[in-house]
Amino acid sequence: MYLTRFRINTSRSSARALLASPQRLHGAVDMAFPKPPPRDGNGPRVLWRLDQAPTNRINLLISSPDRPDLTHLAEQAGWPTLGTEGWTTFAYGEFLNKLAAGGEWAFRLTANPLHYIRREQDPPGSPTKRAPHMTVGHQIGWLIKHQERAGFEVLPNEQAPTDNDTKADAGAEEPPMQWRYQLVVHERTPVRFPQRAERSKSRRETSSSPGADVRFTRATFDGQLRITDLAAFRRTLTHGMGKSKAYGCGLMTLAPVR
Amino acid sequence: MTTLLLRLAGPLQSWGASARFVQRTTENAPTKSGVLGLLAGAEGRPRDADLSDLAALRFGVRIDRPGSRIRDFHTAENRDTGRALPLSDRYYLADAVFLAGVEGEDTFIRRLYTAVDAPRFLPYLGRRSCPPSHPLLLQDNASLSSLPLEDALRNTPWQGGRGPLSHRPPREQPPAELNMLLDCPPQDTPDIQLRDTPLSYNPSHRRYAMRGIQARHATASAPVHDPTAHLRPAPTARHDSPAPPLATDDF
Repeated sequence: MYLTRFRINTSRSSARALLASPQRLHGAVDMAFPKPPPRDGNGPRVLWRLDQAPTNRINLLISSPDRPDLTHLAEQAGWPTLGTEGWTTFAYGEFLNKLAAGGEWAFRLTANPLHYIRREQDPPGSPTKRAPHMTVGHQIGWLIKHQERAGFEVLPNEQAPTDNDTKADAGAEEPPMQWRYQLVVHERTPVRFPQRAERSKSRRETSSSPGADVRFTRATFDGQLRITDLAAFRRTLTHGMGKSKAYGCGLMTLAPVR
Repeated sequence: MTTLLLRLAGPLQSWGASARFVQRTTENAPTKSGVLGLLAGAEGRPRDADLSDLAALRFGVRIDRPGSRIRDFHTAENRDTGRALPLSDRYYLADAVFLAGVEGEDTFIRRLYTAVDAPRFLPYLGRRSCPPSHPLLLQDNASLSSLPLEDALRNTPWQGGRGPLSHRPPREQPPAELNMLLDCPPQDTPDIQLRDTPLSYNPSHRRYAMRGIQARHATASAPVHDPTAHLRPAPTARHDSPAPPLATDDF
């Protein structure tokens, strides 16, 4: 496994076109692999994510079973002569091998939190539909619900409320979801783009269906976790978590707790 | 040497250094005269009391949340005579959070700490109409530090999160770097100069001396997520070597 960090040159117009469209960025990431990884759903897959780094840098992170070649992307949307600062591939496999159950890590996960619902007007027995989680509370609830199967637990927030605070909160039985865990949700954005960005006019006219846009809700979780099930956790890191993995969701990265 | 740290947070703050007549401007960060005045008020000193011991303290401030500058077009009239007072523009920093520190001799700093804990005159953030929204003292005696001023400011966690109660985690990520403004040691060249060292708060004749300021940066103590800092760059692939074995792992 490899983890690659690519620094995007945001002042180039082709870089902005990529940032504007998860579809194009998906294509650009796909092109980085001469041999496409198998799509049978068994092996580790290519995951990517856009990460806001300090001093207004935007990094593209790619986790992949094979080593990517991002030369084309550096020429389009990076600094071709910047060398390893422009893009670096890290030996992710040896890091994954060294992980141990019980280890505590700071994590970041950009995901598409959703659930399956049947609306009231739907006839009983009809297939359920995907519906996004929109609020912070629901999105944290989604992560907490899936953490056990994913092989980790988000550390609880142990700062006990002081006496004054408990009095102020006397009305509520228990604090809201977002206070109970060492977890922050940010960059919660609904994403929407046409399914084929470069579609010609005539084709758009012939195959015009109003629901053709891709829509999903994206949220970034920052927090601290403890590894509970090593095998499941490695699977989470390499196979991704949740839906919309082709469009920049599902990649979880770790950093040492400071 | 001991350092006393104060969290200055409120919906409005106003720290004037060169404000005169009808343009009541504010600096971007608390002034030394403003914070020392708060401490003098907490001790219950009268306006014309001697300030030399306070003015000798080393002062510094860290800008945790810069806030935004707003202008208030101020009209007022004298209730007794009914005559309008001069129209003035009053500037404020809205929604700002600062961490201010004074460093000095241990017993004096501890005396100031107890004074801020139970102030004789109510503290305010630069102007009487700007009450603090949070306790000035940090929780768990974190306000008293045995570190020198600069280290104490660097090592205190970021205070700019929006959570109004202490047990709520901050909703926002701190900026990567925080600006600090520190008293310049006499042998160094200051970056900025400001006339805000108080000599006398006597309302009939307030007097201030120049102060040299050094600008410094502190990294916010809440970490920025860097998923690659602890990884080793993968060795560059050579054309003659076989595929690296890690790529064929079962996960």
